[in-house]
Order: sequence, then C-alpha cells, then structure tokens
Amino acid sequence: MTKTINLNLKVWRQKGQNKKGRLETYKAVDISTDMSFLEMIDVINEQLTHKGKEPVAFDHDCREGICGMCGAVVNGRPHGPEMGTTLCQLHMRHFSDNDTIVIEPWRSRAFPVIKDLAVDRSALDKMIQAGGFISINTGGAQDANAIPVPQEAAELAMDAAACIGCGACVAACPNASPMLFVSAKVSQFALLPQGKPEAAKRAISMVREMDRLGFGNCTNERECEAECPKEISITNIARLNREYFKAGFLSAEK
Amino acid sequence: MNWLASTLLSSIGKKLMMAITGLCFCGFLAGHLAGNLTIYLGKDAFNSYAEHLHSLGPIITLVELGLLFSALVHILTGATLFYQNLKARPVRYSVNKSAGGRTLGSRTMPYTGFILLVFIVLHLINFHFIDKTDTTIYQIVHSAFANYVYVVIYVFAMIVAAIHISHGLWSAFQTLGANHVKYMPFIRGLSYVFSIIIVLGFGFLPIYLAYIA
Amino acid sequence: MQLDAKIPGGPLAEKWDRHRFELKLVNPANKRKFEIIVVGTGLAGGSASASLAELGYNVKTFCIQDSPRRAHSIAAQGGINAAKNYTNEGDSIWRLFYDTIKGGDFRAREANVYRLAQVSNNIIDQCVAQGVPFARDYGGLLANRSFGGAQVQRTFYARGQTGQQLLLGAYSALMRQVGTGKVKMFPRREMLDIVVINGKARGIVARNLITGEIETHTGDAVVLCTGGYGNVYFLSTNAMASNATAAFRAYKKGAYFANPCFTQIHPTCIPVHGDYQSKLTLMSESLRNDGRVWVPKNPEDKRRPHQVPESERDYYLENKYPSFGNLVPRDVASRNAKEQCDMGKGVGETGLAVYLDFEDAIKRDGKAAIEKKYGNLFQMYEKITAENPYETPMMIYPAIHYTMGGLWVDYNLMSTIDGLFVLGEANFSDHGANRLGASALMQGLADGYFVLPYTIGGYLTGTTLEEVTTGHSAFKESVTSVNDSIEKLLSINGNKTVDDFHKQLGHIMWDYCGMARNDEGLKKAKGMVQQLREEFRENVLVPGSKKDFNQSLERAGRVADFLEFGELMLTDAISRQESCGGHFNEAYQTEENEALRDDENFCHVSAWEFTGKDKEPVLNKEELKFENVELTQRSYK
Repeated sequence: MTKTINLNLKVWRQKGQNKKGRLETYKAVDISTDMSFLEMIDVINEQLTHKGKEPVAFDHDCREGICGMCGAVVNGRPHGPEMGTTLCQLHMRHFSDNDTIVIEPWRSRAFPVIKDLAVDRSALDKMIQAGGFISINTGGAQDANAIPVPQEAAELAMDAAACIGCGACVAACPNASPMLFVSAKVSQFALLPQGKPEAAKRAISMVREMDRLGFGNCTNERECEAECPKEISITNIARLNREYFKAGFLSAEK
Repeated sequence: MNWLASTLLSSIGKKLMMAITGLCFCGFLAGHLAGNLTIYLGKDAFNSYAEHLHSLGPIITLVELGLLFSALVHILTGATLFYQNLKARPVRYSVNKSAGGRTLGSRTMPYTGFILLVFIVLHLINFHFIDKTDTTIYQIVHSAFANYVYVVIYVFAMIVAAIHISHGLWSAFQTLGANHVKYMPFIRGLSYVFSIIIVLGFGFLPIYLAYIA
Repeated sequence: MQLDAKIPGGPLAEKWDRHRFELKLVNPANKRKFEIIVVGTGLAGGSASASLAELGYNVKTFCIQDSPRRAHSIAAQGGINAAKNYTNEGDSIWRLFYDTIKGGDFRAREANVYRLAQVSNNIIDQCVAQGVPFARDYGGLLANRSFGGAQVQRTFYARGQTGQQLLLGAYSALMRQVGTGKVKMFPRREMLDIVVINGKARGIVARNLITGEIETHTGDAVVLCTGGYGNVYFLSTNAMASNATAAFRAYKKGAYFANPCFTQIHPTCIPVHGDYQSKLTLMSESLRNDGRVWVPKNPEDKRRPHQVPESERDYYLENKYPSFGNLVPRDVASRNAKEQCDMGKGVGETGLAVYLDFEDAIKRDGKAAIEKKYGNLFQMYEKITAENPYETPMMIYPAIHYTMGGLWVDYNLMSTIDGLFVLGEANFSDHGANRLGASALMQGLADGYFVLPYTIGGYLTGTTLEEVTTGHSAFKESVTSVNDSIEKLLSINGNKTVDDFHKQLGHIMWDYCGMARNDEGLKKAKGMVQQLREEFRENVLVPGSKKDFNQSLERAGRVADFLEFGELMLTDAISRQESCGGHFNEAYQTEENEALRDDENFCHVSAWEFTGKDKEPVLNKEELKFENVELTQRSYK
C-alpha cells in the first residue's frame, strides 16, 4: 500500500567542471513510496524552482532502465542499494522514514562533473571508437543464416552485450577502472564468428585507449560486477585479458 | 614503443606481471614452507636441510636472483598501480559502501604488500644476511624466537601474508584469464585454503620454537 | 501546393529497383565534397550517419543525450520483422507488405510500404554481420517468433532488448566512422532551427546544452531523425527528452506536417499511480497470450481482486469479442479498457486500471511454465509496483507509445523543403494510421541503411548548391530568433513551472485526443490548449541562465513547442471525419464499435502547412492510390 515518508537529502551541488562543489541538505517531505528515485528528485526540483533556486542537474532519459543515461551514487552505492537496478528503477519503498540519503555524482578523473550530478562520460564513447565495432560497411553483408553461431556463444555474447554504458562499473570500482565496460564489448565480439577477424586489433586498441583516458587499473575487486545494473560478469574481464594476451603475444598486431 | 614493452606496460600488462610474479612467490612460499617443516623433525633434520640447500650452489643463486627480480617487478608495478589508481579518482566519495565484491584481502592489497616488504627486509636481516660461520641455522632461528617480540612480529606478518594471498592467488588466475564457471569456485576456495596453510604452517613455527621445542 | 510523392512508375515490385537505377549517382571522388547534417542518433539517425560516411560523405551528427547510444530506440523490446521466411511458413515480401498496409488501416503509401518489406531482409543480414546477438536455435541458426498478431513467425529478437541491440549495432558503425574522422559527432546539442537558403535546407542552429552557446552549422543537406511526439501527452512510454521541437521548427520553416492525429496507444502499460509520475512503462503485449483481462461487474467495487467472486467479474474482451478474446489488436484493447474505466469499473487506487489475471494460466500450465515465458516481465512489474503478479492480478492501463504522424516526405524521404530529409518515427510514411508490432525498428533501419544513402545522392547531383557560410543573413536571422525566444522564456519569471504546464497539456490531450475522440471534445480541447499556451507565455517560471547547463530551459523550449503542436494535432483530428487505426472518432464506428473508415473522402494524407504563429494551418492532401490491395474493414468478433 502507498505510504509517504520524509527524508533528509544531502545532494552534491557543483556549478561547473572546475568549480568547487559541496553537499547541500534538503528536506524531502511526503514522498510516496511508489515514486522512483528520480521522481523524488523531480519533486525536490519543483520545490527548488518555486523557491527561485536552481534545480539539481542530473542526467536521465528513458526511465525504464535501458538507456544508461541516469546514475548517481546513493549512500556510497552506484544506482543505490538494490542489486541489478538502475537509479530510475529504484523505488522509494526501499527507504525508511527519516533516512538520510547522500547523493553524489560518479567520481572518476575520466568522468569530469558537468554540473551537480551530471558527469561527462564521453570517455566511454572514445573507447568504442577505438575498436568497439565490426568493420563492415552497409550493404556488404551475406545472408544472416550463412554462418551458424552456437546457441551458447550467442547467449554469452548477449549477456555481455546487455551493457547499457551507464558507467556504474567505473563509479563502483575502487580504482575507477572501466574494465567491465571494455570487457563486455570485447567479449561480445570475441564470442561471435563475425568478430573474429578484428579480435586482436580490437583488444589492443580498446585497452590502449582505456589507458590513455586516465582511468585506473583493474585489481579484481569485483565491485563492478556487484553493482552492474545489468549484472554483467567479470568472466568477461578474464576473457578480455585472454584476448589481450593473445593479441599482444601471438598476433602480428602492434 | 616496442611491442613487448607496450604490451607489458599497459594496464592489463602490469596486472600480468603482478600475477606471474605473485604466482612465483606462492610457489616459493610452498617450497619454503615444505623445507621449514623439517624443524618439527628436530634440529638435525633442519640443519641438514639447510646444508643440502646451500650445497646446490649456483642453482640457489639463480633462484635468489629470480626472486629478487620478481620482487622488484612486483613492488615497482604494485607501487605504480597504487599511485595510478589513487590518481584515477581525484575527488573521493563522502560515503563509501561496498556492494559485496571487495574482501578484506582485496581492499588492503597495497598496505599488506607494504607490510610484507618491510617484513621481508627484516626477515632477510634476521636469517639471511647474518654471520653463519660459528653457528647453525637452527640456533639462529631458535635464539631469535626466544624473544617474544619476534614471535609476535612473525605471527603478525604471516597473518598479513595470508590476507594478501587470499586475494592475490585467485586474482592472479583471473588476470591470466583463467576464469571459468566450472573452475573458478575451486580456485577461489584454493586461495583461502592456501592462505590458511601459510598462516598455520609458517605462523606456528615461531610459537613452536619459542614455547614447545 | 500540389504534393508530389515522386512515386516511380512500373509494377509495385519493380519500383524501387527502377528508381535506384534512375537516380543519378554521385562520383565517389565527389562525395567527399559534400557535407551532410544528421540530427538524432536513434536507429534511423545512427544508421544513416554511418552509411553516409561509409560512402564518403562528410557527416556532422547531433544528438541531445550525452552519447549517441542513448536514443530511445534503445527501449524497444519485442523485435524486428523481416520477410526471410526462415520458418517455411509461406512468408514473403508481398505478405509482409500486405500485413503492414492493412495493419495501418490503408492510410500509407503502397510503394513506400512495399520497399520497406523489400529491404527488411537486408537489415537482418546487416545487423548479424555487425555482431548483433539475435536469439538462435540449438542448431545455431536465427530464431523467430510471432508477434503482434501476425500469422507467421517473422520477428527476429534479442531477448527483450531487441531495440537496444540494434541501436548498439548502428551506434558501433557510427562510432567507427567517428574514429575515422568521417563523422564529426556533436553530443548534448539540441537543434533549435533549420536554416533555409534559396528554398533549400542549408544548415541548422543548435544549442550546446552544456555551455548554452548557440552554434551554427552549414551543410549541403539536413537529415532529421528526431523521433516522435508522444510526449505531447506528458505521460507516455517515450523517454523524458523525446520531443517534437526539431520537427516542429522544420514545420515552421516550410516542411509540411502529415497526419499528426495518428497516435498509437499501447494497451498493456503499468498504470499511473500519482501526480508526481514522470513516465509510463510498457509491458510486452505478449502477456495477453495467457493473461485474462477483467474488471468487477459493479462500478465502484473497491474489494481486493481475490474477494471478487467469479460471478461478479466481467471478462469484457472475451464477452465482447468471442473469437479474438484477449488478443484483439492494440487499439481495440485500449479503447475497451478506457470504456470500462469511464463506467467506473476501473480498479486500483486511481480507478484507471484493469486486471490482467494469470490465475487460470498458472492453474492450467503451472507456475514454472508461466515463469519461463514471462519471468522477466513479472519481475519488472514487481520492481515497479511491489506486487507479485503470480499471486495478485497485474493492473494495466493503456498509454501513448508511438506516433505514426510526422513530417511529410516523398518517396525519397525528402520533405517539402528541398534538401531536408526526414527518417524514422519523425516522418509519417510507412505505418499509416496504426503501426504493427516489430515494425518500428524495421522502418528506422530501412530508412537509414538502405533508402536515404541512395536518394540523397539523387538530390545532391540534381541540384545546384551555391557556397554558403554561417555568416549568411539567414543564419544570423535564425540565431537572433532562437536567442529571442530563449530570453523570452527566461524573462517571464511567472508562478508555474514548465512541468506544471506540461502536465496540464498532457491531461487535455489525453482526455480529448487520446483513445477515443469526438468533435465536441476536440474543439473544446483546442480552446483549452490555446488558453494554456497564452498562460504559459505569461506565467511560466524558468530558473537559471541561458549560458549554462540548464535543464529547465531545455524543457521550457520543448513544452512551448508542444503547446503549439498540440493544437495542430487537434486541428488534424477535427478535420479527419472518419475513424481509422489510432484515430477513433466516436461518430464513426461500425455496429461492432470498430473504426469506420471513409475511403471515399479521407483516403488521403493530411499534410499541414504552417502559415504563421498562432494562425490556422492550411491543409494539403496527398491522395492515396491503392492499385495492388483491396481496402477492407477490420473485424475481430
């Protein structure tokens, strides 16, 4: 049944990339437990607007857990305390009356804050640009059924491809490493016959780009896997490592 | 950059070096422990084991150099990783909470690593770079552990080593790409079992020498 | 103006081939001299940008989100149709064409729909080669399922995330071209105006959403792939940033807007639960294969579902449509749910929901079987509502889901502004008055991968394009007008927030231009929208400044356009004195309460021409000619 709760919010406010930010405290009153977390922020923003203050900037779009646009660290947990859930799908019934909720942006050198809770994640796109694709031009494809793909491989590839590129793995990693993200893309293509011709080049270029962008290094802390809203497994990271060693030591790719 | 250097100095390459040198240390520890267990057979057995070891001559020197090289690689790479990872998040979270991925071992790797480095230096001063002309190794060890401060330090160090290994061992397999749904639970179990063997095997020796032998 | 759809001659099946032969080609060496602007990076925009760049054109691509991968195509669940006939059931290009044009209630162009069916097969080939992990059979070949009431299994799918996987395929192709430098990517940009010089689209004005800077870009052609206008209803299954601004501003610059009243309402969404609600979530319509829809027989029955005895339940779809039962098409199911709720028989706290009950299915097939089929959907439902659908019936209600109307385009996908092409949901072309399931993904990719890359070449070779720079007076005027409207919005400093207005507009549109419409209501709504628009212009409160990341300002601009666009929808709905597909005028229905078309007077596309701010638009008609199919009446009894 619907009930309402009151909350103390501490929200990170930062005017711009190179400005100093700080946590500001807001009271959220009569919050319906059926609201999503983002709807709760909407309510706060409407209040701030009416008071003549600037609302909290935060990224969001589809609000059904698939676009990967939303995300904030809620009480130390990216996308909040529920497993396998994006922030937009987190509902207020998971909080109790008078809880204090600290809301911070993704923190990583490679994700500079744009404003408040919104960060610049273009580094993720840059890694895809480096090799997260299969180089075929439109029109050149053979019949879709020409190459059978074992069902198991297709399923594993789909598990990896489910990544929504939200960046929670980076936010959760104690080292701010995007290895889960990179490994999901490398794995998807490494598992499919279509991805094989470029496998070595892809692994090397994507890892090199990852290193260039100022992310941290993976130290197998497994926080990414635990926080990933799509529950992508670190077996993909092991696969990326294998692909990388194969590429680095056994292929002619430099 | 040369292909080998660029492969090894990438983030995954650095992890590879950590994994391989770490596995070398695990292998060394297993051998070291097997040798040390001869203490339980009495001082003659222990001394003859030590003599036998020394009689291997150049092989030992080679192994020592190998270990030294591994240590340098492990320490330098580890320090680089620590520094880079610290820099990767210039502004820290005001609230930190684990989702259950991290363990005591993984959380403390750089710190346990540092403690182990200090301990290893001490250990080498105690037992390796010591004048052994008029005395046997058993006497050295026995007299060292007559001081309970040493006992405490050694037991503590072994606990730290176990914590380090509890993450390091399975992590090395993961880094090498050996993560398979069928075998990973076994590897993770092995890491804990190996850590316990290390802490009990090495850790009980000082206590045995100080209070029982 | 006489609308010329430029449909090629010859038999239906040969039109596209003949047209491709007749289109003049751009010499490969000359392609690099052209610069194309693409706005939007969903399936249409992503695939078009990548394909154009592969051909050698220089492409500038814009998107509103932080990354091109976030476009709302990503949320499509069910699948994508193709006439592969891998299942050996007798499917063919002709059958896919026929199903699509009939499903659209005969309000789409034959030639366009046939072409869509033709290229559907190439799309699947292309996507597989890109590494899209479609579902496969044990033998490793592609799996198909039936969807949206089709009698053949022609839908390809990647779990419940087909849209995501197809979009990521197009996105990866786009990223590859960004890497090569052929595409220059501009994320977090909102297009605010089209610049037309000598009657041709020659550039855009966009706002950098981070810095607030107004930027100008020249191009030899502009391609709009900016999606639909479902958010005019405030609550819809669209993403929060989905909007009509780009299309509407093109309309104001001379592009005709076609059939804006054709909107699709999906019957199985999670109901609204409060005023604070920001969006609606769709549950796959496959649920109706096993769930039974019912409401209590007596109005205002507030008992829990289990307390309502069988004899007091009204399985209204099964009673009314004995042969199709719960599987009637989307529009019919939606209208009936509304009818029940209007009678006071709706359930839940708001009274705006009906039950979708799996109790009988679980008794018949066992919980395990139901879980296997719908487990992920049940889980999603529970996450949002905190109710367990294995024990308590689901509550569902219809919601706006897709808009068939859009900017008018000819066979080449070019609008009434030369050099302005419109692709995907943003155009009006292929779905007529109602879209079939798994057809939206097909159309977006067909337009971007396989239609535009040819037709744009035909335009570029057939026209003379003089050199223009952003210093041209047309750019300056455009920037001034964009700046003025932004400053106006910030200066009003009223008492109501942008969302307040948007919600109010949404209520008006939903109540009077939703599932069932009538002349009286539509006219009343038109007055209400005009009034609300006036109030908005005097009383909206937009905080912050223009040279900043200002999400309130972004929304204000979009809502300002929706307030004008809503009226255009109402005007279109009033003018179309028939019922067809998603447009149901209560005055025109069969005895069985089905949409009753008037093929004699309304077998046309209504293309609206802008005549000035707050002035009545002018209606232009494109007559639809059906030479290959017979127009029939739908019946589901």
